[in-house]
Amino acid sequence: MTSRRGFLAGLLASSLAPTPSWADLGRPAFLTAAKDPDGRYLLAGLSETGAIQFTCPLPGRGHAAAAHPTRPEAVAFARRPGRFADVIDCRNGAPLARLEPPQGHHFYGHGLFTPDGSRLFTTENDYENGRGRIGIWHVAEGYRRFGSFGSGGIGPHDMLLRHSQGGPQLAIANGGIETHPDSGRAKLNLPQMRPNICLLSLEGEVLEEMELGPDLHLNSIRHLALSSQGIVGFAMQWQGDPSADLPLLGLYEPGRSARLLAEGDPRLRNMRGYGGSVAFSPDDQAIAVTSPRGGVVQVMETNSGNLIQEHALRDVCGLATARSGLIASTGLGEIAVLTGRLAKQLKHHDLAWDNHLVPLT
Amino acid sequence: MTTPARADMVDEILDDQILPDMQALAESSEDLARIADTTCRPSTSSLRDAYHQAFDAWVRVSHLRFGPTETNNRAFALAFWPDSRGKTPKTLAKHLRDTDPTLLTSEGFAQSSIAGRGFYALEFMYFDQNFTSAEPHAYRCALTAAMAQDIATNTADIYQDWQNSYANQMRNASGRYQDETEVKQELYKSLNTGLQLLADMRLGRPLGSFDKPRPKRAEAWRSGRSQHHIVLALQSLQPLAIALADGDQDLIARLEAAFQKPILRALRLDDPRLEGVADPAKRFRLEALQQEVNDLRALIESDLGPSLGVLAGFNSLDGD
Repeated sequence: MTSRRGFLAGLLASSLAPTPSWADLGRPAFLTAAKDPDGRYLLAGLSETGAIQFTCPLPGRGHAAAAHPTRPEAVAFARRPGRFADVIDCRNGAPLARLEPPQGHHFYGHGLFTPDGSRLFTTENDYENGRGRIGIWHVAEGYRRFGSFGSGGIGPHDMLLRHSQGGPQLAIANGGIETHPDSGRAKLNLPQMRPNICLLSLEGEVLEEMELGPDLHLNSIRHLALSSQGIVGFAMQWQGDPSADLPLLGLYEPGRSARLLAEGDPRLRNMRGYGGSVAFSPDDQAIAVTSPRGGVVQVMETNSGNLIQEHALRDVCGLATARSGLIASTGLGEIAVLTGRLAKQLKHHDLAWDNHLVPLT
Repeated sequence: MTTPARADMVDEILDDQILPDMQALAESSEDLARIADTTCRPSTSSLRDAYHQAFDAWVRVSHLRFGPTETNNRAFALAFWPDSRGKTPKTLAKHLRDTDPTLLTSEGFAQSSIAGRGFYALEFMYFDQNFTSAEPHAYRCALTAAMAQDIATNTADIYQDWQNSYANQMRNASGRYQDETEVKQELYKSLNTGLQLLADMRLGRPLGSFDKPRPKRAEAWRSGRSQHHIVLALQSLQPLAIALADGDQDLIARLEAAFQKPILRALRLDDPRLEGVADPAKRFRLEALQQEVNDLRALIESDLGPSLGVLAGFNSLDGD
């Protein structure tokens, strides 16, 4: 339930005061969660070059965040099994609302706003029924829970908004792995898992579904990126034999079958089976994937599918597109820009950057 | 009494371990190529000896996966293992079917699939009955000579890069490595890479599960080298760990004890192909060995890592 205070604060922020905007904070390019040297968790806004533009405290370790399209408001999700998400006024860290999923659901750590900012969608686990849901929240009513629809699979994780000729749609990475909070992060259904990417209308109608072949059913599709042409890049996490050199990155152009990148390249082993974050280069000519376990970022050419560059970066995970190139963040506090063969350190902060860099659009 | 002045840790690791080991790899591979050019009969003892020597030299450096070994995929071209999809025998069988003469040239062979190159591919040619007498005889012989020459070229290139530039880049950290701490962390990472490979692949793959042991997944079982690789790996990782402890006598004593246990156990296994994984009476010894390697990893992570400024990864240990 939304608190009365949060509800009023939301109203206040949306109607009475002079309209606040991201410009009040210098228009941050990315949101990301972090941990400071004293073990406190926070949400930060970063510029294109990795400078910190604001920080707000978080009550626990964050995962990803969703940024309101116009107002300087962010929804910070706890790690899964997430029991809450906090809506924060990024200008002063004031909590505006706390989102709690309904009984029997938990958050997966990702969410997004509709382009007009009126609704928030969240990826959720309906764990008693073992199915993925997309929660709907009405922003103007203090983030009131409105309902949910099916995610088109099990274990919906990352989610993107994609613009098609038929209007905006949701692209959802259904990782395929069933978990239940009673058994922690134990994976309950590996033999049967069937990850997919599902395209849904904003009303929850299934528009298209992409599944990989049966030999890749253990390759959990977790994180997504979108090219300027609307091609969905997806990063995977392999749940099978750790020695298999399997693709962890693919491209999906709706209406066509998916293309897997760098297939058969032995350097895929350097990823240790784990794709963390994914992003396109600013010109869409390349797409990259991070592996914190391997301490490496691999860059593939989108046309040929070939692996063209590897960057060694310890504990790297966050990755996003900036005008100057790909921006990566690490658990050691580093923010680096990757251009061509070079990985250049932009900034170093005394913070451990958490899993993702979320672009503000 | 004062402790004698210690040479710089990085110099010591380069001069006493990496450079001589890389030199031994290049030289023993050259010997192998020379003998492989004169005979392809695997029963010839000089050929077998040369193969074993060169392969031993590779296993001793197989954890040093940075810099010269990663240029042009050299390490993968020397060691395509594990091969969970059986690409190596498939590639070799195709070579023998196609009998493409360009593969017999250095340049042509260097362009061929990585799965058909290196020590593990050569093991099929020398020790697997499907290949040891495969026809056509003349092409098979010429192919094994080309494979051995490819190993020699590759290892010579690795050693040359170490000698000409990479060792200096590690000694005078200012470019690739920003400071000496980064160099030490690279070496520390390679120590962990070696121990992880040992526990998860060299031991973990054949162990499988109690209900489903996988003896045919043991490393280089065809040539009976599986147990030997475990000993070699531990013996080459021990001096690296000791050097990284940088004179801390208490830590050195604990590391030596923690290495000694699995080394002695591995030497006494009397199970060259690790077939014991499928024998309940023998399996526990391999499980105990894996546990000792994991204990060693835990000690290194808790006691050695922090002294080098390495903490457990915020993201690498989390995952979502």
